[in-house]
Amino acid sequence: MTDGWRHAGRPFVWRRSLWISALLTPALVVMVLFVLWPVLSAFRFAFYDFNGLRPSGFIGLENFRQVLFEKPYSDWTYNALKHNVIAFLALMLFENGTAFLIAFALLKALPGHRIHQVIVFLPVVLSAVIVGFLWRLFLHPLFGLVNQLLGLVGIGAIPWLGNENTALGSILFANVWHWLGFPTLVLLAGMQRISKDVLEAARLDGAGDYALMTKIVWPLIAPSVTIVTILTFIGSFNWFEIPYVMAGLTGSPGGSTDVLGLYFYRTAFGSTTTGIQDFGQGSALAVLMFVFVAGVTAIALRYLRRREIEQ
Amino acid sequence: MSRRRIGLALASASFAWGFASSVARATDISFWTWRQEDKAAYNELFADFTKANPDIHVKFESFPDENYPTIVSTALAGGKGGDVIHTHAYGWLEQFVKAGYFEPLDMAAVPSLANQPADALVSGTYRADKKVYSLPFASQTLGLFINKDVFANAGLTPPITWDEFVTVSKALKEKGIYPLANGMGTSWFNEMFVAIFTNPFLGQDFVSDLTSGKTTFKDPRYVAALSKLLELRPYMPDGFEGIDYDTAGQLFLSGKAAMLAGGSFDIATYRSQNPAINMDFVAPPMAKPGDTPQATKFFDGGYAVNSKSANKEAALKLVNWMGTKEFGDKFSALLGNISPIKGVVIKDELLSHVAKLNDTAMPHINVVYFRFEKPTGSELLQGDITKMMSGSITPDQLAADLTDGLAKWYKPFQGK
Amino acid sequence: MRDRGETFRNGAIQLLLAVNAVIMIYPLFVMVASSFKTNAEIFSSPLSLPTHFSTANLEKVWTETNFVRYLANSVGITVASVALILLFSTLAGYAIARYQFRLSSLVLMFFLSGMTVPLKLAIIPLFIQLDTLGLVDSYLGLVLVYVAMGIPSAVFIMTGFLRTLPRELEESARMDGASELRIMWSIMLPLARPALVIVAIQNAVPIWNDFFFPLVLITSDNLKTLPQGLTVFVGEFTTDWGVLFTGLTLAALPITLLYIVLSKQFISGITQGAVK
Repeated sequence: MTDGWRHAGRPFVWRRSLWISALLTPALVVMVLFVLWPVLSAFRFAFYDFNGLRPSGFIGLENFRQVLFEKPYSDWTYNALKHNVIAFLALMLFENGTAFLIAFALLKALPGHRIHQVIVFLPVVLSAVIVGFLWRLFLHPLFGLVNQLLGLVGIGAIPWLGNENTALGSILFANVWHWLGFPTLVLLAGMQRISKDVLEAARLDGAGDYALMTKIVWPLIAPSVTIVTILTFIGSFNWFEIPYVMAGLTGSPGGSTDVLGLYFYRTAFGSTTTGIQDFGQGSALAVLMFVFVAGVTAIALRYLRRREIEQ
Repeated sequence: MSRRRIGLALASASFAWGFASSVARATDISFWTWRQEDKAAYNELFADFTKANPDIHVKFESFPDENYPTIVSTALAGGKGGDVIHTHAYGWLEQFVKAGYFEPLDMAAVPSLANQPADALVSGTYRADKKVYSLPFASQTLGLFINKDVFANAGLTPPITWDEFVTVSKALKEKGIYPLANGMGTSWFNEMFVAIFTNPFLGQDFVSDLTSGKTTFKDPRYVAALSKLLELRPYMPDGFEGIDYDTAGQLFLSGKAAMLAGGSFDIATYRSQNPAINMDFVAPPMAKPGDTPQATKFFDGGYAVNSKSANKEAALKLVNWMGTKEFGDKFSALLGNISPIKGVVIKDELLSHVAKLNDTAMPHINVVYFRFEKPTGSELLQGDITKMMSGSITPDQLAADLTDGLAKWYKPFQGK
Repeated sequence: MRDRGETFRNGAIQLLLAVNAVIMIYPLFVMVASSFKTNAEIFSSPLSLPTHFSTANLEKVWTETNFVRYLANSVGITVASVALILLFSTLAGYAIARYQFRLSSLVLMFFLSGMTVPLKLAIIPLFIQLDTLGLVDSYLGLVLVYVAMGIPSAVFIMTGFLRTLPRELEESARMDGASELRIMWSIMLPLARPALVIVAIQNAVPIWNDFFFPLVLITSDNLKTLPQGLTVFVGEFTTDWGVLFTGLTLAALPITLLYIVLSKQFISGITQGAVK
C-alpha cells in the first residue's frame, strides 16, 4: 500500500492516528449529537408518557395503542394515512406520468428543448412556502386567478380549497406544478443513457413513436423509474409544507387534507386552539411513520430491482 | 451538565453574527402576543407605563395567530419567551400552568386583581389549585355586524328574529348583495360561527343541563340548533366553503355583503380598515319574537408572567398596572375591547352597546367548558362543522362525534 | 409519406411542450405582474397587465415588514450551513478515501446510514437535545441541524470523488517532504472543486427553502428565515394581495436569478443521486 506513514515507525503511527481522528471528529460529533442520539431517543420516547417537554413515566405500548386503536385518535391517524396513500397514487399517475411524457417529448431534442428543461425545473428551486401561498391566492373562490379564468367560460365560483371534494386535489395540483421538473429531468437522463444504436435499430425495424415509447424506452429506463417511485413514496409520506401552507395545520376543510406530517406536527407541538402538546403520542406516530416508510421502501426496492434485472 | 458545556463551547467557538439571544438590559422586558394588529395601541399603553416606571421598557413582540400556541409552548419549554405573555383563557391557559410555565399571581404582588369581577377571574384560574395565573384582559362578544348603509340603500331594516333574517336575506340577495359575508374557510372562526347562530336556539337552560351532566350534545335541542345553520347556506357568498374570515371581513367592509357574524374584538380593526364604515353590532337572530337577545360572551384571555423570566419583578409590575382602571379606560378606548376591570368607562357608543349585550349573553360553550383535555371540543367541532355545512354529514352525526370524543375525558358524557 | 407524418408528430410534440411551458410560466408571470398592481386592480381585473408600474407595494414591504431581516437571516444560515457541511464532510471524506485504517469501512457505513434517516421525524428528541444545549431559538442550533442533515450525502459524494484522484500526486509531494495537511490542502482539495460545487448546490437549495425546522426551532422574529417570515407576512397582510404578491415575488427572486445563471449546475446538483 502506498500510504506514506505505513513503514515509518512507532511515533509516526501515533501521529497518523491522531491526524485521521482529527479529520473525522467534527463530522462524527455532529452526526452523533444531532442524528444518532435523536433517532435512538425517538424510539425510546415513544414508550413514555410526557409531562411538558420531559418524559415522565414508562407506559409501554400505550402511545401506540392510542394512535392505532383508540378513537378519535385512530380515526385521525387512518384519515391522514388515507390521504398520504391517495397523494402517492395521484402523484405517481399525474406527476410522474406527465413527467414521462414530457421527458419523451424532450428526448427528440427538437428546437427549444434545452430552454424547456430550464423552464420546467424552475418551480423546483422555489420554496414550497412560496408555491403554496401563490396557489392559495390563485385558488381563492372569489378573486383567484383560476376562478377568474374559468369565469371567462361561464363556470361559477368553485371553492377549490374550501370544499372537501376538491381541496386535496387542488393541493396535489400545486404539488405537481412545484415538482414536475424533477421526475422529468431524472427520467430524461435515464432515456438519454439508452444507446443510440438501440433506438436506431428499433426505428429501422419500423417502430413508431408509441411502440418506441412502450416497448423500448419504458423497459430500459427501469432504474430511473425505481428511483422516481421511491422518492415519490418517501415524499408523499413526509408531505408537510404545501398542505400546511394551503390548508392549515388542521388539514381543513374538516380534515379532508390532513396528512400524517400535519397530524404528527399537531400532536407533538400543539393544536391551534389549545396548544396541548403530546410528545409521547407524537413520538409513537414518528416511529410508525419511519418504520412504515423504511419497510415499504426496502421491500419495494427489492421488487423493483428484480424488474430491472429481468429486463 | 456536560451537554450544556458542549453547547456553550460550540456557542462561543462560532461565527460573529450573534446567534445567542442578545443580552437584555435589566430593565427591558418583552410582551408576547398574537394580536399583531394591536401593535400601535399597545406601544402607546406601554409608553404610559414607562412614564410611571421610568426604569422599565416594554417591547411588543407579536406572532401569527395560528402558530402562537406552538411558539409560546416551545419557547416556554426552552426556558425562553417573553416576560409577560398574552394568554388565551380556560383550557389553553391550563396546559401552560400545568407545565409550570407561569407564575401564580397573588394580591401581594398584583393588588389590581381586586378590580376584576369573579366570572372574569375564573377564566384565568387554574382549576386544580384555584390560583390565578393570568390577569383577564377583555371580554369578547360574538354577534352580528350590520352595515347600516347597505341596509338603508336597500330600504330594509336589520333583522331581529330568525324569520326576519330569512326575509331580509332573500330581499338582499335579489338586489345582488350577499346577505351574510361569512364563509367556512377559517377553522378557528367556524367554531365562533356555530356559537353565534346556535346560542339563541339553545338558551341558558341548555347550558346548565349540559354542565350539570343532565344532557349531552346529542340533545335534540342542540341538533335542532345545528340544523338551523344549514338554512344559512343560501345567504352566504358563492363558494362560501372556501371563503376565509379575512375575505368575509373585506366583503362586509366593501358593502358587497350586508351582515357579518363576527366578534367585538374586530370592531377597531374594521374601523381602521374603513373609517367611513357605518356599522352596528347586534345580537344574532333570536328564535322567536320576544326572546332575550343572546349574543355569545367569553373571556378571551389574559396577561401572565413567565416563571423563567429574568425580570419577574418588572413583569409583575407591568401586569399589575394592566389591571388598573387607568389601563382599562385607555385600553377600551384604543382597542375597542371591553375591559372587565370594574369601573372602566366605555365612551364609544357602539362599544357600550356591545357591553349591554353582555348582560344577557350566553357563554361560548366549547371555549369555556370543553378545552381542558385532549381531544378538545374545539378540534372535534372544527373538524366536523365544514363537513356538515357541505352536506357530507348530518347534524346528528356531528353531535354524536362531539359527545363521544369529549366522553374520553369528560366524565358526565361517558356511557351516554 | 414518412416525412409528413414526422412533421405532424413533431408539431404535436412542440404543442405539448408549449402548453406545458405556459402552465409552468404563466402563474409566475401573473405573480410578478400583480406585484405592481393595487389591490383594487387585482380584484377587478386580475388578468390584465398593470396599468402603470406602481412601486407602492414594494415600499410597503420594504418599510413595514421585517423582510430584509428575514432575507439576511436566510443568507447567513444557508452560507454558514453549507460552509460547515463542505468543511466537515471534505475532511471526513478525505480521511476515508485517502488513508487505510481499521475502522474505515465502519465509519463510512455510519455516515451512509445517516442518509436513510428522515431527520424531520426525529424532531421531538432533536428539539429536546437542542433545548438541553440551550440552542433552541438560535442561529447555531438551526445551522447544526442542517449540517447534520447534509453531512451523510456530502461525505458519500466527497469520498467517492476523492477516491478517483490519482495516488501519484500525493506520493511525489510526500517524497518532497510536504506535510499531510499541506498535501490535502494545496494539492488534493483544489482538484475536488467540481464535487464541492455539486455538494454546495445540493445542500444550499433545500436549506434556503426549508420551512419545517425554523418553524419548530426559531421563535424570535429577528431570527426567522425567509420562508418562515413569509408566513408572518401573509398573516399580517391577508387581504392586501398587491403586497402579498410583491412579497412572494421578492422571496422568489434571489434563487430564481441564481438559477437562471447557473441552471446547469442547479439541475445536476439537485438531481444528483437520482441520476446515476
